[in-house]
Amino acid sequence: MTGTAVRVDQVSKSFRLYHERNQTLKSAIMRGRTSVHEDFWALDDVSFDVPEGSTFGLIGSNGSGKSTLLKCLANIYFPNKGTITHFGKIAAMLEVGSGFHSELSGRENVFLNGSILGMSKKEITSKFDEIVAFSGVEQFIDQPVKNYSSGMYVRLGFAIAINVDPDILVVDEVLSVGDQEFQEKCFLKFADFRKAGKTVILVSHSMGTVEAMCDRVAWLSHGELKKVGPAAGTIKSYLSSLTPEA
Amino acid sequence: MNYLREIWRSRELLLNLTLREIKGKYKRTVFGQLWSLANPLALMLIYTVVVGLIFRVKPAPGDPSGLHVYALWLLCGLLPFTFVSSVINAGLRSLVSNAGLIQKVYFTRIVLPLSTVGSVGYTWLFEMGVLVIAVSIAGAFVLPWIPGLLLIMVILAIFAAGIGLMLSIANVYFRDTEHFISIVLQIWMYFSPIIYPVTLIDGPSKKIGGLLGTNITLADIYRLNPLEHFVEVFRNLLYDNRWPAATEWYICAGWAIASLAIGMFVFRRNERNLAETL
Repeated sequence: MTGTAVRVDQVSKSFRLYHERNQTLKSAIMRGRTSVHEDFWALDDVSFDVPEGSTFGLIGSNGSGKSTLLKCLANIYFPNKGTITHFGKIAAMLEVGSGFHSELSGRENVFLNGSILGMSKKEITSKFDEIVAFSGVEQFIDQPVKNYSSGMYVRLGFAIAINVDPDILVVDEVLSVGDQEFQEKCFLKFADFRKAGKTVILVSHSMGTVEAMCDRVAWLSHGELKKVGPAAGTIKSYLSSLTPEA
Repeated sequence: MNYLREIWRSRELLLNLTLREIKGKYKRTVFGQLWSLANPLALMLIYTVVVGLIFRVKPAPGDPSGLHVYALWLLCGLLPFTFVSSVINAGLRSLVSNAGLIQKVYFTRIVLPLSTVGSVGYTWLFEMGVLVIAVSIAGAFVLPWIPGLLLIMVILAIFAAGIGLMLSIANVYFRDTEHFISIVLQIWMYFSPIIYPVTLIDGPSKKIGGLLGTNITLADIYRLNPLEHFVEVFRNLLYDNRWPAATEWYICAGWAIASLAIGMFVFRRNERNLAETL
């Protein structure tokens, strides 16, 4: 419980804001250039450590860089500067049901999606019953997923992702899926995760969720790290920044 | 080397993505996989009528097999070509059409274009199987040449995979690629000895002689086309029933290795930027 699970060290990430983007050969040749752009720093020199076994929240207003940071953590984006070091196997849940093929059955999609998320066939087979039970779609598992209700679709996707069993789990706003009952199941699952000494990093706009689940919270604003520390204090300063002082 | 190990570790994912393509493709069709035969059969009919009967192009009979059927001779070159062309077409779209996946999940990106080689290859294997049966019925003795046939199929798949990898990246930056390439592929087919024998080129080439005062003839330039060599090997094995010349094997293997090496190099250099660029 004393180690560090993820070290974010002076990470900066810029995107190009295109004033002109020539994605066709004709325009690239006619204009003699592929683009005119300026850099926009979505993350600017962010550093913090996520302690092992903690549940770590990222908060901030829209456009503050939370999702960019999450994608950097998940190896989808690569920072321009700085490094992110993981100590343990990391899995990201940025979207559920990625790569589902609508014509294939739920069963086939479990194996497909599981392998996209990095599970081996053996692992999926051993966890298959658990995944199906958790999603609550037993009855429809051999039906094509295009016939699923949106709730069933999301629940199946979530059930697969949560069973990847990483040391570090990165989650983006996906807790708002499913009905009340399913959400409670998810919270229990996260509690189990924590009990098993695993680390969870999550993004949420619901301060209630963050306060209930997280030990530590980082607050981002316009790509800069404003504050990082115990949950209650950080949330309080974030909320007070939102209400203009009287 | 590390990169190869990474791809090897993703083999299950590669297999699953390939199966996704294969299973998804003919879902809800009555004839299923049989549809994959429809396209080559239609092309065969068209070319047999137009080129074989109207233009009266007559390739030499198979030596030593003695086969003398234009339709079969055509298919021995046409099926490999349609495979290459489908791999290139599907491969170059593979990244753009899976943009959602690339932006949400981390995995070894290269499995996307490679899985198209697998799924197209599966169909191709099926088509070639039917062709082997057809050629056998027509009187050729193909059985001893099947190992050679499988080997050249693998080499051709490697060649096509390399081109698919390069173009999939190009298509991310310039969406023109897919439109441009479909034209290039048509031209490529007519500049390869698929519907006519290469001997038709040799005649005029000799008449013209060395180009621009050099020893280089038209036929020499024509033979720079890698498909000319691939088609030659396929026809030697399937239609003529003899072992192709060693140089032809070397040329094919050389093209395949070069194509894959460049393809992987291009892909590796660009894969980290895919999520942002798409």
